[in-house]
Amino acid sequence: MQVTETNAEGLKHDFKVVVPAADIAAKSEARLKELSTQVKMPGFRPGKVPVSLMKKRYGSAVLGEVLEQSVQEAAEKTVAERELRPAMQPKIDIETFDEGKDLEFTMSVEVLPEITPVDFSTLELTRPKADVDDKEVEDALTRIAEGQKSSEPVASKARKVKNGDVAVIDFVGKKGGEEFEGGKAEDYSLEIGSGTFIPGFEDQVVGMKAGEEKVVTLTFPEDYPAEHLAGQEVTFDVTVKEIREPKVPEIDDELAKKVGMDDLEALKTAIREQIQGEYDKVARQKVKRELLDKLSDAHDFPVPQSMVDMEFDGIWKQVEQAKEQGNLDPEDEGKSDDELKDDYRKLAERRVRLGLLLSEVGQKNEIQVNQDDLNRAIMAEATRYPGQEQAVFQYFLQNQDAINQLRAPIYEDKVVDYILEVAKVEDKPVSVDELMKQDGEEAEGEGEDKPKKKAAAKKKAPAKKAAAKKADEAEAGEDEAGKDEGETSA
Amino acid sequence: MSKQVTISKERMYDVIKSPVITEKATMGSEHNQVTFRVPLDASKPEIKAAVEGVFDVKVNAVNTLIQKGKAKRFRGRMGRRSDVKKAVVTLAEGHSIDVTTGV
Repeated sequence: MQVTETNAEGLKHDFKVVVPAADIAAKSEARLKELSTQVKMPGFRPGKVPVSLMKKRYGSAVLGEVLEQSVQEAAEKTVAERELRPAMQPKIDIETFDEGKDLEFTMSVEVLPEITPVDFSTLELTRPKADVDDKEVEDALTRIAEGQKSSEPVASKARKVKNGDVAVIDFVGKKGGEEFEGGKAEDYSLEIGSGTFIPGFEDQVVGMKAGEEKVVTLTFPEDYPAEHLAGQEVTFDVTVKEIREPKVPEIDDELAKKVGMDDLEALKTAIREQIQGEYDKVARQKVKRELLDKLSDAHDFPVPQSMVDMEFDGIWKQVEQAKEQGNLDPEDEGKSDDELKDDYRKLAERRVRLGLLLSEVGQKNEIQVNQDDLNRAIMAEATRYPGQEQAVFQYFLQNQDAINQLRAPIYEDKVVDYILEVAKVEDKPVSVDELMKQDGEEAEGEGEDKPKKKAAAKKKAPAKKAAAKKADEAEAGEDEAGKDEGETSA
Repeated sequence: MSKQVTISKERMYDVIKSPVITEKATMGSEHNQVTFRVPLDASKPEIKAAVEGVFDVKVNAVNTLIQKGKAKRFRGRMGRRSDVKKAVVTLAEGHSIDVTTGV
């Protein structure tokens, strides 16, 4: 095997490889012999077919196979000998090959750049930290209470039906004196003001007392789905049996027990924890964003063009899709295609660079995703589909690919965690509003900001739009775990 | 020895029906022998002439055999497969026929 390097500039290397014909012939002979033990031919016992016959019959097929294999092998060997770290599959063009002639092919490889991560302990980051307001907890409690709304019968006979009440009624609908189908019910709980019945019905029930009977005359709307009733005038004999008043339960231990907590204090703690968790998540997102920005600033190694191209193609597809559906980022509207492409190319480059960097850091520090992490991620995924947890578990159990898709974001998170541990992180107390608000401002302000920062904000948008796309991206990113940074927010 | 026969081109191609490619037949290739399936009525001199004419080789000897058709029962009735005549042709040294490529 002869290898000559024809071109080496930057990260790109071109090679010309020549494999002598004898090598190929020997290989195909061996392969044929191997095959002959399995092949069945009329007139021969299995395994007794002479090689010369095999060659006649299967020669060309085997040759193709051998060719492919030798190209692969030669390429691998070249890469190994030169200790290159290819960024992608090498691109191979076969130049000449005929039976009995030398095999010649060219291959071009893009190698991973040498990455020397900065000393992370020099990084200075601020982590916004918001505390949960008591008011916030109170609000949540009120919402829970409202969710537990029940109704109680009204004792007083004189009480008239009013808006917001629940009236328990019997009614019989008649058209021209005849009962019609579906116009009859007993003990129906009608919430006045809910608009469940045809317009006008509820209005006429208002003001009735418990035990009162009344004939309600109504005209069905023209667009009523049942044709024989649409636009018709009908009467309903309505009897109000009971009036119930909605009641919001008081916020006490009783309520807490209803939602499965021991007492009010426990419920409050749980709510507080949940809200705190949400804040922490946002805070973490911010630190991560800041960290990635800083890392991106601190590193400026060349990135393999082909990886950038691939990433860019992915992004561009999303953008075009968004364009077709008419929900392009407002920021992007009015820009020409070329401008957009320019922006997104920068974004792609940043993503690739950060991805390479993170995976390098991960490798150097032996960060690995273990089964526990995966299980946790699957659990989290499952809880996102309430009621179908079992199905989700099944899906992940049977689908190794799906699990691998989870792996990438976890890996990224772990690397980020690692860096955060090393880096100087300063906790900065902020108000809740500030914590939440900053995000929006950033997104807006970044338009005029450095293009790199803008990239960070933008990437959130497409990720949100196409949750499905996330999967694709994660898949592509086993090694480039970092590139879908910020997507967890979607 | 054997008498010379001259046969027409058509007859030559009729005489050589097909090569026999089996384990046993390929064993003969070590002794420069090639096996063909020939019509039942083909004679040894005819076969020699045909092989020499078609493949442009020199034939040393021809041995023939008739493989009797098997008796087979089909729906309870006895039947018989046709007999087959084979010719094992020994070529002169330095001559060869590639049986697998066809004529």
